[in-house]
Amino acid sequence: MIFQQKNQSRGNEVSHHSEASGQNKDEVETVVGPSVNVEGDFSSEGNIIVKGMVAGSVHTSKYLSVEQGAKIMANVRAGSAQIAGEVKGNMKVKEVLELTSTARILGDLEVKTLIVEAGALISGKVMMPGFESEVKSARGPRSSVKKSDESEAPVAAV
Amino acid sequence: MYVYIYDNFLRQKKYSSLIKAMEISLTDYGIAGKILRLNNYTDAKQVIEDEIKRGAKTIVIVGNDGTLGQVLSRAATVDCTFGFLPVGGNNTIGEVLGIPTGVEACDVLSRRRKERLDVGWMNNRYFISQLHVYPAKVEVLYDERFRVTASDKMEIIVCNLQPFFWKKSKKDKDVQVVHPQDGKLEAFLRPLTKARWFGYNYEDPSIFPFEEMEIKSDEPFVVEADGRKSKEIKLKIRLAHSKIDMIVGRNRKF
Repeated sequence: MIFQQKNQSRGNEVSHHSEASGQNKDEVETVVGPSVNVEGDFSSEGNIIVKGMVAGSVHTSKYLSVEQGAKIMANVRAGSAQIAGEVKGNMKVKEVLELTSTARILGDLEVKTLIVEAGALISGKVMMPGFESEVKSARGPRSSVKKSDESEAPVAAV
Repeated sequence: MYVYIYDNFLRQKKYSSLIKAMEISLTDYGIAGKILRLNNYTDAKQVIEDEIKRGAKTIVIVGNDGTLGQVLSRAATVDCTFGFLPVGGNNTIGEVLGIPTGVEACDVLSRRRKERLDVGWMNNRYFISQLHVYPAKVEVLYDERFRVTASDKMEIIVCNLQPFFWKKSKKDKDVQVVHPQDGKLEAFLRPLTKARWFGYNYEDPSIFPFEEMEIKSDEPFVVEADGRKSKEIKLKIRLAHSKIDMIVGRNRKF
């Protein structure tokens, strides 16, 4: 753990994030503070907390937290994420994406599990890989039925 | 053979009993050796190289964070094992290395648990503890991938071994501590925003772990690394992996 504080209040804040979803979020590695602007290909191997502004692209294999008042104008890829600020761009989240009541998303979402709190705004498509596979499996038998119908039809004609 | 480099402040009377106790403890462990005293004008690298030629295998630095920085920033390239005996105040690196202050440090030294430590490199010299860029209008480029700017001045602290202590405001009594990790340098950026009448307020710091970083400005800015100040326009900082062979304690923070 990087963050340690004598009165543990900061530690509490970090552990609060960890309760939100499954992955290990105790190890906060990169923090973009308020009134800081980041431009470019912003990627990290660890957790990212954004309190300021990021433009370009954001990539982490672990946890991303966008706090209230923070702005991301970029395509985002993350392991799991909690959004309380504004995101303008497409988001691809491997595991859990949690949108709090103050979240504003302008872009498409591709996520495995989505948690949306009342008040959150989304403008864009939402895609879930689990649903896609179900649709494919549902389409599979239908087409086979059609084929069987076609094959049966000439028999009936005879 | 052990060689001990004492800082000049250890001549003060208040340290004499502690130093005596430590010397007795070192003799008991059978690791007592030659004692050299550091002055402001002593070139640590030259002194250490001379002692290695005479057969020294382990150089032990006795003092505080300043002493360790002063010696290792010059002597990082020397091929020998370093030890550290923290004495007195201003000792935060000892804690990171798992070496207690005072006589107990002799016990850690005698066990000879060795680790190779990373060192920071700035423009043309090494730094061990911390690099401090005083508030200035600067632009930071990380690993040649992304750029960090602030609307006004920005203070930057790059930590190698020394932890970063900060307060949210001057009135805040709780000191926040961030312990650096080994294997990466950590940069703490604190933007300053103008106060209502005059002066500046510090914002919450941003934290970026990195291996290479470039700080640029149109005007010269003041940089302090291991207690040495200089003015720069462009600063390149990177991590030099496994540069120093150091005796560390079991309770080290990495």
